[in-house]
Amino acid sequence: MEADSRGLDTGSAPAEVLTVCDREPIHRLGTLQPHGFLLALRDPDGRIVQASANVPGGIEACLGRPCDVAFPDLEGLFPADSAEPERDGAQYLRTVSLSTPEGPLAYDLAIHRSGALTILEFEAVASVFASNHSLDALYPRLSRFVEGLHEAASVAELCHLVAVDIRHITGFDRTLVYRFDRDWHGTVIAEDGNGALPSYLDLRFPATDIPAQARELYRRNRLRIIPDAGYRPVPILREPGEDAEPLDLSQSILRSVSPVHVEYMRNMGTMASMSVSILVDGALWGLISCHNAAPRRVPLQARNACDFLTRIFALQLAAKERGAEAEQRLRLGAIQARLLGFMAEEENFLDGLLKHSDDVLALAGASGAAVITSDTCRLLGTTPRDVEVRGIYQWLSSGPGGADLVATDALSEVYPPARAFAEQASGLLAISISQKYASYVLWFRPEVVRTVKWGGDPTKAATPDPAGGPERLHPRQSFEIWKETLQNRSLPWSRAEIESVKDLRASVLGIVLRRAEELASLSEELQRSNKELEAFSYSVSHDLRAPFRHIVGYAELLRSREGSRLSDKGRHYINTIVEAAFSAGTLVDNLLRFSQMGRNALNPVAGDLNALVEEVRRSVMREVPPERTIRWTIGSLGKVNADPVMLRLVIENLLSNAVKYSRDRAEAVIEVGRLDGRSPGQAPDGDGAEQAVFFVRDNGVGFDMAYVDKLFGVFQRLHRVEEFEGTGIGLANVRRIVERHGGRTWAEGAIGAGATFYFTLPTPTAVPNPNAATRTRSPRNPRDAR
Amino acid sequence: MPDLKPILLVEDNPNDIELTLAALEKSQLANEIVICRDGAEALDFLHRRGLFKDRDARDPAVVLLDLKLPKVDGLEVLAQVKGNLRTRAIPVVMLTSSREETDLVRSYDLGVNAFVVKPVGFTEFFEAIQDLGVFWAVLNEPPPHRGGGWPSNT
Repeated sequence: MEADSRGLDTGSAPAEVLTVCDREPIHRLGTLQPHGFLLALRDPDGRIVQASANVPGGIEACLGRPCDVAFPDLEGLFPADSAEPERDGAQYLRTVSLSTPEGPLAYDLAIHRSGALTILEFEAVASVFASNHSLDALYPRLSRFVEGLHEAASVAELCHLVAVDIRHITGFDRTLVYRFDRDWHGTVIAEDGNGALPSYLDLRFPATDIPAQARELYRRNRLRIIPDAGYRPVPILREPGEDAEPLDLSQSILRSVSPVHVEYMRNMGTMASMSVSILVDGALWGLISCHNAAPRRVPLQARNACDFLTRIFALQLAAKERGAEAEQRLRLGAIQARLLGFMAEEENFLDGLLKHSDDVLALAGASGAAVITSDTCRLLGTTPRDVEVRGIYQWLSSGPGGADLVATDALSEVYPPARAFAEQASGLLAISISQKYASYVLWFRPEVVRTVKWGGDPTKAATPDPAGGPERLHPRQSFEIWKETLQNRSLPWSRAEIESVKDLRASVLGIVLRRAEELASLSEELQRSNKELEAFSYSVSHDLRAPFRHIVGYAELLRSREGSRLSDKGRHYINTIVEAAFSAGTLVDNLLRFSQMGRNALNPVAGDLNALVEEVRRSVMREVPPERTIRWTIGSLGKVNADPVMLRLVIENLLSNAVKYSRDRAEAVIEVGRLDGRSPGQAPDGDGAEQAVFFVRDNGVGFDMAYVDKLFGVFQRLHRVEEFEGTGIGLANVRRIVERHGGRTWAEGAIGAGATFYFTLPTPTAVPNPNAATRTRSPRNPRDAR
Repeated sequence: MPDLKPILLVEDNPNDIELTLAALEKSQLANEIVICRDGAEALDFLHRRGLFKDRDARDPAVVLLDLKLPKVDGLEVLAQVKGNLRTRAIPVVMLTSSREETDLVRSYDLGVNAFVVKPVGFTEFFEAIQDLGVFWAVLNEPPPHRGGGWPSNT
């Protein structure tokens, strides 16, 4: 329990007590625990200037006297030079025997320096332990331990080993290995015990339980012990007139602890405790914390062994952690390489991510992820709702200045709306993969409180103190505080995880860049081939047209000037030559127009489709033989957004086709209209422009649906020339023009049952579909139209 | 008749020359028809230099100018005629196989008086040439205007 961890020296207690602790100069308490006594000597004469009240023989007998006079037994024990450099930590000198009024007593003597003073601490030796804890006795165990450390596969295994061994050496009821996280919150990650005390495995403690200056103390003084929480503190006294400043006891092994802490220990039912600091690279990594239900002394040799063992353990720990980090990097590197492979295979590289959600989540150790751009949001794993993720996206793309990478384990602190979905996303890791199109990949982590697993049950320990001690001083309370502290927080993103998504970002940008280059070179190629096409059609228009013109011209001349001298057959031949050359010339003209349709710039303007249809209808009717009867039904078509010159060609083609293919009908019926709603299967395009569906229907010869795919191809004809004239390019032009407007064309028909041609066009925004009433024209004789 | 101005036909293709002459002949115009076979010659004629230093002082009634010509092409000839104060008043009819809009646009930019795409059908061609002889503007194509081409609501 953290009683110890925070414990030995500070009052470890919930917040309000701790804030008091924060201000209290805890290393300068002027009292000792009573299992030994202390002398402070002033250099250079070794005069005793301070001493604890329990010094054998009485305080009066020693204060102000040179040490070797007051304690002749110590003469010659210290190195002659008192100029030995001040080192962190008390040094065990040896076990000494002192003559006291109660007879000779054995003490373990430790020495350290505090400012100008040399501090001697005499810890009474409990003779029963002495033999068991000599270095010789401990050696086999230590050496087995060191071997075990080498074999341990993981940090967790190492921690378990050290917990078992420390408990064995010290004989405590329970040992815990307590680890600090980045924010100094603690977790019990390993435990060994005999069942006398409850298990605290996996228990969490807030950073406030062990305040900063206590941690600093732990860093400098690696081992603290309280053999009996029921002790009565012994004051340290000084010679009158000595420096009034209390003695700095931060290195002391006998130093007294805060009364609050002692109270806490008693509440826990632990009367003895010891804690050893685990330092990795000079920083406090964690603590080994030991407890006993009854008071317990641990002799200095055993404590030294524990300190030694812990230091070996810490060395191994550092190596294991580095190894684990390297391993994690390798593992993440492999995942990243796989993802890159997936992305390279896909047309749209983001699909490479979307199709492999497990790897995407594993890359950052996340429980959810999202790939989001301005118009798409794809979610993987456990995430906030779509609309909430879009909110994060808005914030990302405007808020933190379009940062390349955002990593936080407390999203709601920087983005308060995240509080609402802390359960799914308290932690956010985000990379921007395109500045221009504001695209991100996001990873989410849940609130850390929800990820806690319990090995032990802290509630068991919450049995009320029979002595009526305050209930708040209890690990359970610590857990509550910890939960509060870590609300809306996730586990932090590790360096390796952040690096791996950074690398992913670099790779994605590489892909994007390469795609952009490919596109650029493709468009260069397109431009070149467009230029070639232009040159080609230019020369066709000049060079291919001319010979046809000449053939027609000379044949006509022949007919008009020499016709009378020809036979009927000869004149038939001439007529055929003229017709053939004429249609070849027309074909060239149509081809050129078709290619121009593709090359000319599009100038869409909003306009009234009914007006255009009517104008085209009139001009088409001019070519219709007067004896035909055609009934036109033209619905309300509304406004469309199109290039009028090109759209006129579309309408011309469709109307003249309808007229042409219905010429065998006694009454041709041609209907032009607009459908409600969207064209089938048509998704709204990127700009969200609405598309309207129009149709031209006739009751003519129709076509076989088997050939519907050929209808819109260049030079595709479904009828013989002598049945219906034409070059087979009209519908190809229709499709080309409509597609250039972003629309679609399709047709329905049946042989002998007419045909319907559909096309879609963008409509000006916010224009309601005017397809309400249908105007019907009565059958009329085209002659009237002239 | 001496007071009739000549018609200048600038055309390199002998077939087109023959057909054009046949058409003009049919329209029974009395004008002299001068034929130049390339752009350079046409410019010499128009500026009365080189071979044409001593030609009749009167400028042609109309120039029928093919677009694609050896040496100096039709557009260049047009540019020089319309860019010169002395010759800019001479009507120029571009007579061409080209349906290319860029040619059309450039011709109008340069100040052409008419632009005739030679039709494939001979009858139309004959008619065109005959009409041109009388008045050059009958079969001209209007300057292309794009956009705003919707019919006014009927």
